Parts: sequence; C-alpha cells; structure tokens
Amino acid sequence: MTHEQTSLAFRENTVRALEDSALRAAMKQAADTFGTKRADAFAPVADLEALRDRASAIREDVLANLPMYVDRFVASATRAGAVVHRANDAATAREIIRKILADRGAHRIVKGKSMVSEEVDLNSHLEAAGMEVVETDLGEYIIQMEGETPSHIIVPAIHKNRRQVGRLFADRLGVPYTEDPQALTKIARKALREKFLSADAGVSGANFAAADTGSLVLVTNEGNGRMVTTVPPLHVAILSIEKMLPSLADLPAFLRLLPRSATGQTITSYVSVITGPRKAGDATGAKELHIVLLDNGRTEILAGESRDILKCIRCGACMNVCPVYRAVGGHAYGWTYPGPMGIVLTTLLTGMKKSHPLVDASTLCGACVEVCPVRVPLAELILGLRQRKVREGFSDPKEMRGMALFGKAAASPTLFALGQRLAGAFWPVVRALGGKDVAGRMPAPSKTSLRRRLP
Amino acid sequence: MTAADRERRFLENAAIAAAGTHAVSGTGELLATLRRVVTADSPVYCPGVTELEKATAALFPVRAADYGAAAVTVEEVFGGVAETGTLVCSSEGGRAVQAGLLPSHHVAIVRRERIFDTLDDLFAAVAGAPPTNLTLVTGPSRTADIELTLAIGVHGPEKLDIILV
Ligand code: SF4
Repeated sequence: MTHEQTSLAFRENTVRALEDSALRAAMKQAADTFGTKRADAFAPVADLEALRDRASAIREDVLANLPMYVDRFVASATRAGAVVHRANDAATAREIIRKILADRGAHRIVKGKSMVSEEVDLNSHLEAAGMEVVETDLGEYIIQMEGETPSHIIVPAIHKNRRQVGRLFADRLGVPYTEDPQALTKIARKALREKFLSADAGVSGANFAAADTGSLVLVTNEGNGRMVTTVPPLHVAILSIEKMLPSLADLPAFLRLLPRSATGQTITSYVSVITGPRKAGDATGAKELHIVLLDNGRTEILAGESRDILKCIRCGACMNVCPVYRAVGGHAYGWTYPGPMGIVLTTLLTGMKKSHPLVDASTLCGACVEVCPVRVPLAELILGLRQRKVREGFSDPKEMRGMALFGKAAASPTLFALGQRLAGAFWPVVRALGGKDVAGRMPAPSKTSLRRRLP
Repeated sequence: MTAADRERRFLENAAIAAAGTHAVSGTGELLATLRRVVTADSPVYCPGVTELEKATAALFPVRAADYGAAAVTVEEVFGGVAETGTLVCSSEGGRAVQAGLLPSHHVAIVRRERIFDTLDDLFAAVAGAPPTNLTLVTGPSRTADIELTLAIGVHGPEKLDIILV
C-alpha cells in the first residue's frame, strides 16, 4: 500500500482527530505514562546537563564533518566485509534494495522497525515486486495488518487501544478474541516466529553507525531487531547519513540518553552492535550484509539554516510533551515524522509546498526544547520555517491582510480602541456569517477591554 | 569501585530489569543453582565449550542439539556491565549470540572478573576491534506497544537468569 502525504490537509486532519474519542483517550493515557516514566528514569542521573552537552557536542561535530565521517564509515564497513550503497533519493534507495533482494531470489522478507524505510515507502515497492514483507516490531505488525502508517516514531501503534488490537487479531489471525496485552503479545510471537525462521532476508534500520569501526547499532526491546539481523542469511540495513557517530566509544553517552528519553528505561533490553557479516570461524551474523546510506535531501539541509534538526536521534520525547501532538496524534501530520521534530523534518524533506500548514502546528511553548536530549533547538527551527513560509508566499492571504490591519491598529491606541468597539458591535454579524467555523471556536469579544480593567 | 560494589550494583540493576539473579562461588554451587533454575524436562542447549560450560554438561538429561530446538539455553557469556545490570554477549570465538535469543529461557553464566563498571569501560575495551556481533542484554525481551502496557517475552526470552560465578 502506498501512503500519500496529507500534510497540506493538516487542519482537516486535526478536526477529524479531535472528534475521535478513542484516539484522544489513547493519547491522553500515553502522554501521562511517558511523562512520569521519563522523569523517573532521569532522576538518578547526577550530571544530566553535562551529559546532554556532551551528546550535543558529538552530534554537532558529526554535522560539521559529515562527509568525512560518512566516507570513514564506508571505508570501515567495507573493510569489515559489508557492501555499502549510497542512495541520493528515496526512489534510488528502494530500487537498490529491491535489486539486492531480487538478485538473490529473496521473496520472504522480515523487517525490523525503521522510520527511514517508512520515509522511502520501501514496503509498497517490494510488495509491488511480488515479495512478502512482514513487519516484526509488534507495533509495526499491528499497523501493517490494519493498513496504517506509524503515528509515533517509537510506539507506532500508540493510537490504538487494546480492544482494537484484540479485534484486529481475532479477525485477521483467526484467534479467539482477547484484549490482554500479554496474551496478544504471545499471539504475535508465535505468528512471527515462523516468519523469522523461514525468511530469505532481513531488512532493518539502525539507530547509529560508528564511523571508526563501520558498526551498525540497533537499540531495541523486543528482540525482533536481533532476529532480523542474525537469523536470515541476508541482512539489508537502510539508514540516513546523519546517523553517524565518530567512534564506537561515543556510544555510551547515547545509550544513556536515548532509552531514558524514549521509553523511560535506563537501557533497552537489547543493544546490538553489528560489524560486518559473518566471517570465517563465526557462528553469528548474516552471511551477506548490505548497508544502504540514504541522503534524500540531508546534504541540502546541512547547508541551510535548519541543519540542527539533523542532530536528532529520534527518541520521540519532543512529541510526547508537545501539546499539539498530544491532542491530535501522529497521523494528522500527514507524513512519516510527527510532532515537533516531524514539523521540521517533513517541511525540509518534502518541501514547503507540500507541508506548509505544519509549521503552524506548534504553540512555541518550548516543552520540546526542554526535553530534547541532544539540544535540538526545535522552537527556533520552527520559527525559522514560519519566516520562510511567509517569504516564500505560502501564507493565507486573508490572514496576511488581517495581520497587516492588526499591526497598524496595535500601533495606535485610538485605532485599537475603535477596533475593539467595532468588534463588539459586529460580533453578532460575524457569528451569523461564520457559522460553525466561528461559533464555539472563537471567543466573543469582551465588553470591557483589559486595559480598562487594569487599575 | 570495589569488587564488592561492582558485584552488588550489577546484580541489583539486573534485578531491576527483571532478570533472576544468583551469585555463587565454585562449581558445586553453580550446579546446585542450575538444578534449581532449569526445569528438569526442558530440552537444554549448552555449547559445552568453556570450562564452566563443560562442568555443567552432565547436569541436563534432555539436551537439544541446537538452540533452535531448545527451550532453555545455558551458556557462559562474555561479560557484564554494573552500571546497567547488562549482560554482554559476543560472537568472538565462534559463539552463536542468537542462542540466547530464540529459546524462551536464557540462563547466562558470568565470571565476576568479567564485570565492567560502566558502559564506557566496556566500549573502551571492545571499540578497537569489535566482533561481528556484540549484543548487550538487559532483562528479558519486552514491549509496551499495546497501550504502553509492559508485556514480557515478545521475540526473545521471557525469562532471563544470571548466575555470577
Ligand atoms: S528532536 Fe530531540 S526530542 Fe525530538 S526526537 Fe529528536 S532527539 Fe528526540
């Protein structure tokens, strides 16, 4: 299934989301759980600010020298026996992967969670080529079965409740209905175990790539990432170029920050460090390892004013605290990446023309900036994109005229007072003409102005 | 960190991550603990390569030829990390790291002298020439993908026991 971008319909999407009571309940519960877990996990970390500074500085160094680190990674990974491919855009990446799989006669593909593979819409391409692609992360498995896209970068099926998952499994897998998460998990384990054992190839993403050793690092909880990368004979990893770390020795700082920020865990159940394919004398690892490094606009972002978004390590903390995300969920954003980081990345990767309503999807409250473990200045980046939106002429002309009028009036006390009186006088007319869009959504003008009410 | 501190922190943190923890001294105690943690009739996979693994070999009446067919894997692993209560599994020396992944119960034997204080110490030791696969294991396999409710034993083991020797 191909998933079209719907970011331009952000407003319509939010109206629909706000009317979905199951979604709102799920988002509310998620927000509360995430908030407390994250705080608890960081509480015992004594020098958190220093740790964030260090991680931020490492990420800045990576961006300042990205082409060098990418070259170094390619050399190290090749030395370790991996085959590295460079893909400039999504179509090239999809085609490289299809060809690797097709050339080796691979039909049954198991996939680990990878947002980059969502970004390039890999599954639909492989399915169109006649391959069976099975998502094996539980959340991804659920939404694949439902024909949906992830609504969160860490917990893809966060918008679904246990009853919806129970009914889905009963319908599609022919198992008796249950809504017990533990029982549902067992059902998925059994169904997916068969897939792992019979798979021709595993496709995964990576959280980090160490330039000095050519290692891929996967940070996971379920164990599906380990299965995908060690059980089938062929492993294809796709990752975007900014996932570099200068050295494997830099990893601990990120292992301390990522799981705590993402799920409130001290560390995930599993961290896999994969360096090349199985070698002589080894009993672990795929026989063949291919690594696809995706650019897809990153080099251009790196040269521009929004480059700091590339520091992001995809922990999801910014969406968990975002008042907009918490109200409308991830699907409203209309593309792979939701929440504050998604606003920035989507606009940059897909272009202002396809996504400009997103840049208004923030109150600029700064909660995201406060939690970001690598200090991505999200509010500043969003503000910058708003300026760009105006510069490039994507603003609503009515809004622009209104703002121009307001600007003039606000500069003159006499005009401002007149405006206030007019607003009061015309309110019944505005309400009658505006209909549903105005009534109940816009507050009625106050009878006495704030200035008069102040002593 | 003193040796006693390191050991205490390792075991405490592993227990927080929902691993079963056991500290023993000598082969006698190791065997007694294994007899307790491994259910008698489960097919056990044990690589039987290291000295400690060899010592346990006679213990299990039902042996699985490979980990794919086993209900339990009993193996000595590369090391541990006190900071997080983590086990370190390495493919070095022809070890099958996935042997600790497929069966639903993983029993890992770790030598006391193989415990690193922190993640930095571990990576400083391995970063020069990492093996094909280095896997850090902290507690059993888990997910919170359904309503953020914790469920144990997704694709990996639902039970993890650590025996510190
Ligand atoms: S921008 Fe920061 S908080 Fe948001 S996902 Fe990226 S690293 Fe996490």
